[in-house]
Amino acid sequence: MTCSEFQKHIDPFLDNEVDLATAQEMQRHLEECADCETFFAGRLALRQCLQTPELRFVPATDLRSEIHAQLRKEIRPPSAHFHWLPRLQFPNWILPALAGAAAVLIFWFGSTTFLSPVRSSKGANNTLIEQLVSNHLRSLVGNHLFDVASSDQHTVKPWFAGKLNFSPPVFDFSDQGFKLIGGRLDYLGDEEAAAVVFQHQKHYINLFVWPRNQSTTWSDTILQKEGFNLYGWEANGLTIWAVTDAAPETLKTFVELEKQRMAE
Amino acid sequence: MDLPEVELCDRLRSLPMNDQERLTRFESEMLPLTNDAYNLARWLVQNDQDAHDMVQEAFLRAFRFFHGMRGETSKAWLLRIVRNVCYDHLRKRQVLSNSSDSDQENLPDTNPSPEAALQTKSEIAAVRSALSKLPEDFRTVLVLREMEELSYREISEITQVPIGTVMSRLARGRQHLTDLLKQMRAKDLL
Repeated sequence: MTCSEFQKHIDPFLDNEVDLATAQEMQRHLEECADCETFFAGRLALRQCLQTPELRFVPATDLRSEIHAQLRKEIRPPSAHFHWLPRLQFPNWILPALAGAAAVLIFWFGSTTFLSPVRSSKGANNTLIEQLVSNHLRSLVGNHLFDVASSDQHTVKPWFAGKLNFSPPVFDFSDQGFKLIGGRLDYLGDEEAAAVVFQHQKHYINLFVWPRNQSTTWSDTILQKEGFNLYGWEANGLTIWAVTDAAPETLKTFVELEKQRMAE
Repeated sequence: MDLPEVELCDRLRSLPMNDQERLTRFESEMLPLTNDAYNLARWLVQNDQDAHDMVQEAFLRAFRFFHGMRGETSKAWLLRIVRNVCYDHLRKRQVLSNSSDSDQENLPDTNPSPEAALQTKSEIAAVRSALSKLPEDFRTVLVLREMEELSYREISEITQVPIGTVMSRLARGRQHLTDLLKQMRAKDLL
């Protein structure tokens, strides 16, 4: 090995990033060449200098607990609305809900690696999409699909009335295959949202509704994320997002029904 | 880097979690890296208050995208976010190419171990000053390699440049710094 070869590799050698054969050659060269040994000693001294612990900057205040406090603000504030209703009141939906959740999980794990987005989510806020999917998923696996279980829109709608300062659209489309099964309160970021829950065969649809504001976006097309299909739109001063594991065509049909009925 | 462990962490992270679980998992994985994050931010933005803000912002971003972290060690992933946040900030301030004043504040009281290369407060201040005069690209790789002891591959992930570029930046950065320190010694500053 020549001196210029040695000096070319000296930094990866110092950093343990050369292969074994090169390292051995360099070691041999070091033993033979005083100039290169001096050069290498300079590098070692520089490393020792830079690795002096006192050279590092350490945060003066308790940065860790400040971060902790800030992160706590990020997660959903606990709400007095989240009552756990006695389970015995709904023995007829717990099993299907759990079975549905299990199916969704299997589908989800299987599909995340294979499905690419149908459309790009350009124009729609990615954080919002993630939140929607996460809220949808949580409603299924957390055994907390709704706070009020009813297929009667005249029960579900008044239930929201006492809890929100806006009125979400609540319709039953049982005749078209989308059965209203309940409602619950949810949060998207800091926004209180209504979640109206529908069942289509073995699939659930969460319809998230909250008052339109500047920071929220909508897609007006079907988006796909982690195996779920989403469609967001705006109507009557509300932002509305439907999230489901049902097929894109099914979601499209459902959204058309909602749009029609809301326009009436 | 133990790849199976990284994969296992990826799998765990992608399990459905409620917010509290997500926060707990995030904090147990990421909060121990607070000082590393601060050190990098401090070397990049060159003042304490900004570095402080950068680290907080980086942790927020990291938390929001935590489930999207794949195939990387926590440290490389977090430091990449720290670096991105700092660059955004620097771009706004447009001071990326200007070297700043030397850092005399916030020096720890010297209590050097016998083998420490730098014995006194003034020596530390001098080396800090030399390192902060280096072009920003060189400074970043040196901090990541020498202080955070990351591999070329991890540094390449963080700085988003090929491994060959990491290698040449380290070589040039070290040479540059050696020359700077020599000049300071000649002027009796060190």
